[in-house]
Order: sequence, then structure tokens, then C-alpha cells
Amino acid sequence: MSLYTVEAVLILDSEGKRLYAKYYEPPHGSLEQQQTKTDSKAISLLHPHFKTVKKQEEFESKLHAKLGKQDDEIIIFNDHLILYQHTSDITLYVIGPINGNEIILDDTLTGIKSSIDMIMGPYGGVDKRNIQEHYDEVLLAIDESIDNGIIMENFAATIAARVSKPTDEEPVTLDLDKGLMSAWGFAKSKLQEMQQNF
Amino acid sequence: MSAQTYKKKHETTISGELPDKMTIYQDCMTTFNESPVNAKRCRILISRLLRLLANGETFPENEATTLFFSISKLFQHKNDSLRQSVYVAIKELSKISEDVLMATSSIMKDVQTGSPLIVPNAIRSLTYVLDESTAFSAERLLRSAIVSRDPAVSSAALITSYNLLPISEATVKRFANETHEAIKDPKEVLGDNPERDYPARSTFITQYHALGLLYELKKNDKLALLKIAQECFPNWVLKSSIAKVELIKVMTDLVFRDPSLFESFQNQLEQWFASRHESVQIECAKMITSFAMAHPSYVSSEFFASTITLLQSMLTVPRPPTLFAALRILNKVSMVSPEKVVICNPELESLINHSNRNISTYAITTLLKTGTDKNISNLISTITKFIHEVSDDFKIIIINAVRTLSLNFPHEWKSILDFLIDILKNSEGGFDYKNSIVEALIEIVSFVPQSKEPALENLCDFIEDCEYNELLVRILHLLGKEGPSTSQPSLYVRHIYNRVVLENSIIRSAAVVALSKFALTKNDSALNESIISLLRRIANDKDDEVRDRATIALKFIESSKENIKAQDLIQSKYSYDLSSLEKKLTTYMSSNEDSFKTPFDASAIPKYTEDEVKAMELKRKQEQLTNADLEGINNEDEEPITKRLDTNTYKGATLDEHEQDLLSTQYIEELLSIEEFKVFGNLINSSKPISLTESEAEFEVRGVKHLFKEHVVLQFNIANTLPDVALDNVSVACISQLEDESQLEELFTIPIERLLPSVESPCYIAYKKPEGIVLDEFVNTLTFTSRELNPDTNEVYEGDEGFQDEYEIDSSVLSAGDYIKSSFVSSFDTAFDELSNSEVAVYNLQEDLSLQDVTNRLITSTSCLPLENSQNVSDSSEHTLKLFGKSALNGSKIALIVRMVKSSKGIALKASGKAEDATLCSSLVNGLL
Repeated sequence: MSLYTVEAVLILDSEGKRLYAKYYEPPHGSLEQQQTKTDSKAISLLHPHFKTVKKQEEFESKLHAKLGKQDDEIIIFNDHLILYQHTSDITLYVIGPINGNEIILDDTLTGIKSSIDMIMGPYGGVDKRNIQEHYDEVLLAIDESIDNGIIMENFAATIAARVSKPTDEEPVTLDLDKGLMSAWGFAKSKLQEMQQNF
Repeated sequence: MSAQTYKKKHETTISGELPDKMTIYQDCMTTFNESPVNAKRCRILISRLLRLLANGETFPENEATTLFFSISKLFQHKNDSLRQSVYVAIKELSKISEDVLMATSSIMKDVQTGSPLIVPNAIRSLTYVLDESTAFSAERLLRSAIVSRDPAVSSAALITSYNLLPISEATVKRFANETHEAIKDPKEVLGDNPERDYPARSTFITQYHALGLLYELKKNDKLALLKIAQECFPNWVLKSSIAKVELIKVMTDLVFRDPSLFESFQNQLEQWFASRHESVQIECAKMITSFAMAHPSYVSSEFFASTITLLQSMLTVPRPPTLFAALRILNKVSMVSPEKVVICNPELESLINHSNRNISTYAITTLLKTGTDKNISNLISTITKFIHEVSDDFKIIIINAVRTLSLNFPHEWKSILDFLIDILKNSEGGFDYKNSIVEALIEIVSFVPQSKEPALENLCDFIEDCEYNELLVRILHLLGKEGPSTSQPSLYVRHIYNRVVLENSIIRSAAVVALSKFALTKNDSALNESIISLLRRIANDKDDEVRDRATIALKFIESSKENIKAQDLIQSKYSYDLSSLEKKLTTYMSSNEDSFKTPFDASAIPKYTEDEVKAMELKRKQEQLTNADLEGINNEDEEPITKRLDTNTYKGATLDEHEQDLLSTQYIEELLSIEEFKVFGNLINSSKPISLTESEAEFEVRGVKHLFKEHVVLQFNIANTLPDVALDNVSVACISQLEDESQLEELFTIPIERLLPSVESPCYIAYKKPEGIVLDEFVNTLTFTSRELNPDTNEVYEGDEGFQDEYEIDSSVLSAGDYIKSSFVSSFDTAFDELSNSEVAVYNLQEDLSLQDVTNRLITSTSCLPLENSQNVSDSSEHTLKLFGKSALNGSKIALIVRMVKSSKGIALKASGKAEDATLCSSLVNGLL
């Protein structure tokens, strides 16, 4: 019944190495924990399979070994529900609890995947290199889809529209402290730019 | 730094692999503190930093704090693109830095005056900067954000409130009205982002967030939840499919609290069957099936059938997630009522070869459940082809499904056995896989006697070439246990002795024990001689343990001719109740009053014969089958993680059963430790605890009946749920319904002196009874003196005399079932025919119950073991239940066949019982209901 429905979102490359990984937990523990107050520090609600980075990586490499070449879209793995899609040399995973609603998790996966597709379109599509180069936009797209495991939005265009573009704005004022060389470099690049535009 | 190197650094860092942690840290520190800020470069650096964190790197706290401090300086820059990244960074760094609070005022300002793009990000970051003491300060901001027309802003505020709930429930409760409005008021006005021209539209997902939050706020108020659910029913209210799914979850919660609500939801659910969102259809089907399995009488068979038809139609869609979801539900239904899923068989068969192995496995295991006598052997041959292609996990699932088949279709043992033997010998696989096959075989051998000899012979072949010690040891044990009673014991002796010659010491030791058991074989002196000579040879083994075991075995065999005790030591007829044995041993070890001079006394530990152990095992399996499956659907995400951990590591009976067992043993031990009861002698039988009050009553009472040879003790465990009231001198007045004719004579009562709030204590009433079976019924009343407590000291007010009070609780019945222990028999019909005394009784039930309800009731009231899978009702109009048990007093057998027919007039029952003990038989048969 809880809104916390997604346990993790992962992007792994063709060797199973992490490009993006986020494991979610309620940020302030559970209501019950706070009421019983056995410990002033909130106990981590991360699933025991994901408690440490080591366990997470172990989980990811097993996941990759099992699914790296399969195109099953959905499986149960280690008592988690896994939805995934391969695109060129990367794989996007959405992980939920074993009793989760399969279709909702699938919609979430599709939402994230298509929004990244839209954003990466102008750069030549989704692949490992583009994910790394435009990591800021990937971060924002996933951040606008899921908040602490709560599904915020699953419609790709609405997600993508909330992702700001990297700014083109360069600082205009010259900082004289930087010395003549950098001022020269700046002027030169500006000149080149103008030449090209001309 | 020359222009050249500066440029070069820029280029390498733009793509590909990350530079190391320190470089990034230094870069961040210089770039973030530059003036003026280079927004583009800062955003790239932030994303690089977050990539580092995503890879599991972390910074020491002081560095994290410095980083956080530098990043929060970036708030001075008005660029939205940079700001959005800063908010993501704050979220991540808040986990490693303690000083997030200092960004609060900048964030609050953004919430109020930021650009439409940034406001939602600012609101969401409040989750990290607020704590118990400051949460209230965001009340006004969150409240006005919730009512915003922009769905992104409203959702951000709802989600943040949801996240903050554990630390500021009181504050969040004040937005209940606004949250309620947000469900009904679809938000459409998207805050636009001038840079992006995607076809964005509102998906009304805000309704989902509002419903989720409102549920948390109102979850203890059933009526309020019901009202909210009903408001959402009209089609135009909920526009978001995920909100509908959430609504169904709320309804699921409601019907499990109050099953009578289901009827009023039925129309709504039926409408959703036609929803164009599969998520909604699936959630409906989940709800209906899980509810129907828990409360079968509330769901009409037509409605259930239409749910199955809905799922059936989903089996032909091409999308794996949909197939998977529908199959998963059908699979669960098939474990409890396979006959309802039979109509899906054609679709299921077409999925056997689906490329997604999870889907094909579900299809096969479901087919194995819905299989009938006719197609079982066909199915098994299909699986034989299939099983070699899947991974071990799936193989194990399939084997477990086949294993339950052997319980349900004992007469199909031949094809099941052939299948298991084939995969045991001819397939590759790890230990877990082979182990599950061996377990399945052991199970068949113990519950289907005809299969014993062929199975054992094949296991003998298997151990000739088996790489797993654990399996070898288990199989040797099985051969030792079952081998001596076969038609050709000498065959096994050869195989076992081969192990002694060829294997390591662990296996040799196990083989010695197994061999020695053959020496007792029904006076076959030739075999006896050869065992002795084999053991003599082994007595020279180079390993201590093997040698010792052989020597001891020889000693036992020699003395076994005169001494029964020695026979028991070779081939034990009893086994101890392990949980109480463990408990007793722990107390013995820890008390150690006289350096262990008093030997450990094992006489008080319950002992079971082999049939009893089998009965318990079978019972547990039957319960596991039904419970495990229900569990899967019922438990929502809210199941606490700690419990999940336990169930992961604990692989025996389910947790609840285990707890219940422990509770019974605990009660028994408490009872036996009381001086007054010691004179009664050995405890013969104890009933399971039965609740005698409603679960939310002022006082919760559970009753247990303990039987001794000439005494009965009624135990009442009473819990006081009233705060601030203590109960003094608590006892239960039990008045026999038989009045003067009662054969029981009340001896004494042990009351509870004082019962404090939320404490549970037992009160006992002891009776003297004539030997043999005595039946009775008691009307129970709780009597006590209640006294108010001083809430400060938790003590009774001085001088408060309290006042006497009474409280009615349910009655207790001492029935024939209390004198019976469940027991296993391999062939029920033969056993039934052999018993001498018979008794027949006919009942008519007017209540509106399903046959399954009646069956469950009979199983509990008779304490017998249901056999031949008769505990599951497959036909809703007639059923035959077969029960078997033994008298707890003298161990005499009793068998019972109950035929039931359901018609419009009610349920007619015909019970025919046969037993060695005529009194027990007539009391049981005539007192069934």
C-alpha cells in the first residue's frame, strides 16, 4: 500500500559495470520506527540485499550474468521483481519488491527509458558514451521520475520536459586576477567562434 | 597553468572514464568558488561528482561538508539549469554531510519565488533539510504548494509530506483537507520549460500521490477510508491509472478488515475489468483472488470465474510483463483451487515453450496443479524434455511442483518416480538442485509405500557415483531406515558396504550406522551373520569415528537378543520433540547446579512414533501449501523488512506456525513447572490455544485444555488491554452444562493475583476425572476486582478497594477430539476396513457455510490428520473427507470418513467412524459438530 514502490534503478554497460545506480529507501525511516523510538537514529530500511555497496555490486554482477544476453523483459531474481530493457550497449533496470504490480513497474521503466531516448535523440541516441557525456541530464530524468522510491511521473514526454538543458551561458565578465594568458585564451576562443558564425 | 594544459584537461574530462576522486574534489572546490560562477562547468562537475557517488565512492565527513558548503554557494547564481543540478547534489550529499541545514533559507526562498521549473525541485529537497524540530516551519509552504494548479508542484509537496510523515505526523495531518481536495481536483496546468518542446501533458498522477498520503493519514479510520474509496468510484474522478491501482489497494485493505464490504465493491471491480490499463486489471484480479482464497464464502463462483476469464484473456497478449503478471496470479490460484484454472489449460500449454523461462516455468507449474489423472503422465513427459534447458532455480521450482503432485496423485507414483530418477541420473546441476530431487524422492518413499523398493534401488545406483557428501549421508540414512523392511534387504547391504570400501570417513561412519540396522532384520540369521562379520572388518578402520561406531554397533547387536533397549538404540522407534528437547537441554546446561552430577532427564520430553512424525510432517506440508500461496498475494509492500529477513534465512515451517508450536510448548512447560500439577503424573495431551474473545476486546482470553490420566486442567491465558486499570484476583468461573451429571469434580483454581495493563498471565482450573473419556462443556465467566492505577507511578491508588466485576467469554468444550492425536497411515482404505468397531451418524447443517469451511472445522475439532488430499474441497457441491488419528490415552487407531453434500437446504453430513476403541469411536462420531 505504501507509495514506496521502486527499490532501485540501474544502468549497466555491456560488461555489467555500473553507469548509474540508485537504491531507494524511505528517507526518514518508517512511522512505526519513529513511534517506538528504540534508537534515535533511523534504521536503514534498505532491503538487506542492498545494505552495502559490496552487496549491491554483487547483486548487479549476478543480475548481469543472468540477463546480460537474455531478452526476457521481466523476471524474478533473488526475491525481487526485475523489469529491464537493453538498448545498444547499455541495459536499464527497474527493481521492485516481489509482490509489486508488474505493469506499474514496467510503465515506470518505459517512462524513464523513453524520456532518456528523447533527451539523447539530438546527441545521436542512447549509448554508453552519451550516457557518460550527458550524465547531468540522465541524473535529472531519473530524479524527475522517482523520488526516494516513489513514482513521481511515468509519462516520458512529461519527464523529459522537466529536465533542463545544460546552459550555454558563459561568464561574460573577465576576471583580471586570472592573468593575461587566460584572458588571451578567452578572447581567442570568442574570436574563433565569431569567425565560424560569420 | 598554461592555456594548453588547461584546455587539455577540459577535453579529457568531458567524456569517457572518470578522473580520480581527488581530482574531482579539487576541481569542484576551485570551480564552485570561482567568481563569477561558470554555470556550465559547475553543472558538469556536479554530474561528475554524482557519478562518483553513484559508483559507490564516498567522501569523509569533513570533505563532504566542505563540498556541500561550496555547492550551496551556487544558489547565488540565477541559472535554472545549474540550480536543478544543485538540488540533485544536495539530495545525495545530505546522506554524508551533517550540515545540510544551512541551505534551508535558500531553499525556502526558491519554493516561494523560484521559476516554475525549479519550484518542485526546491520543495522536494525540503525532505532532506528538515527535521523533527523544524518541519512545522514548512507547513504553510507545503500547504499552499499542494493546492497549486501545477501538477509537478502539487505532487512534489505531497511526496515531500509523505517522506516527512515519520518525523512530523502532526504537521502533515493539518493538510488532510488539501490532500483530500487534490484527489478530486485534477491538476492540468503544467509549468512550462521554454527550452524543451516535448509533447508533455499532465498525467494526473498527483491523484496517486494524494491518495497514497491520505491513506497513511487515515489508515486507522475504516469509515473514513471507505468514504474516500466511494468518492473515487465514479468514472470521472480518477483520471490516473496508477491512482486507480492505489485505490484498489486501499479497497483490498478494507475488505480484509471487513469482508462484508466486498459485495458493495463488486460492481466497481467489474467495471475495471474492462479498463484499458492492464495495471488496473491485474490489481483487480490480485485483489479478488487473494480475498477469495481467504474468505471463499464472500465471493460468488460466477464472479470468481469471470476474474479467471479476465486473466485467461491476458494470456494471449504478446507483452511479457502482462503474461507474467497474469500467470503469477493463476499459479497462486491453482495451488488452492486448481479446478478453477482448468479452463486456461489450452493457453497455458501454448506458453510452455515461451522464451522467457519465468513465464514457461509458471505455465508448467500451473499445469502441474491443474493436471488431472488423465494428462499427468503426458505433462511429465513434456517437462522431461524441457527441464534440461532451464537454469537450476527453475529446475528446483519444477521439482517442487512435481513433488506436490506425488502427494495429490499418489497413484501416479510410477511416472513421477521415473521422472525424478531420470533427472537425478541424467542431468547436470548444482547441489541445491540434486538435493531437491533427493528430498522429493525421500518424500515419495515415506508417503507412497508402493514406490519404496524401486526408489531405493535407484538411489543405490545413484550413490555409486555421487559427488555430494551431504546427499550420500542422507541416502545412506534412508537405506538404513527403510531397507531392512524390504523384500530383499541383502541387496542394499552390498551397496552400503561398497561405500565403506570406497569413500571418505564421513560417509563410512554413516554407512556403518546404516549397516547395523540390517542386523535386526526379521531374524534372517544368514544376513545377521554377514553384517556382524562386515562390522568386525570395519572395526579395524583407520578412522577413529568409523571404528568407534562399528564397535558400538557390534556391542548392541550382541546384546540385542535379550535386551530390547539395545534394539531401540540400533533402530529407534521414537524420536523426541526437537524444540522441547532443545529447550530442556539449554536449561540443563545453563542451570548446572551440581556440575552435571544429576543426569539429564529426558522423560518429560514428548516422544513420537514414526507414524506420528509422518502425520505431523504431512500436516505441515498441507498447511504450507495453502498458507504459502495465500501469503504471496496477501502481503503488501508494508510487510516489515525485518520479517522478510527472517523468512529468507529460516526455511522450515512458516514463521507463524513455528511461533504457535513454541507457544504450545511454552504453555506446557509453564504448566509442568507448577507444584500442584506434579502429582497428576504425565501430561497426555494438550489442545491448541483457542481464542475465547474477540481480538479487540477489553480482555483477550485464550483457552488451552490439558489432559492427564485422571485429571483435566483448563488453562486461560488472560491479557489486560485496558490502560490504567489493574485486575486483582482474576479467575474464571467454569460451570458445567451437564450440571449435576458432570463427571468432573473441581479440585482447585490458581487465580492471577494481579494483572497489570498489557500483561498476559495464565489462570488454571483443575478437575478430577474418572479414567477414560469424559466429555463436557463449560460456560465461562471471567471474575476479577478492577482497580485504577496511578498513571505516574503505575501503582494502585492506596485505599482504592476496587469493585468486583464479571466479563462473559466464550465457552470451552471438552470433546472427543481432545483425546486424539493425528496419525499417518499409508493406505487409508485398508486401515479403515481392518478396524472393528463402527459407528455412523448423520448431521444437517443449516448455516451458510462452504464445504471447505466445514472440512476445516472438522479437521480442527477431531484433531485427526486428513489423508489422500481430502483436506482440499474440489467440488463445491459434494466432498468426502478422510481422517485418521490415534487415541492419546492408549494409542488405539481411529479412522473416519465424512461424506458431505451441499444443497439449497444446507449441508448434509454422513460420518462413519471405525476404531479399536468403541467409546472413543461413538463419542467422536456423535459429537462431531
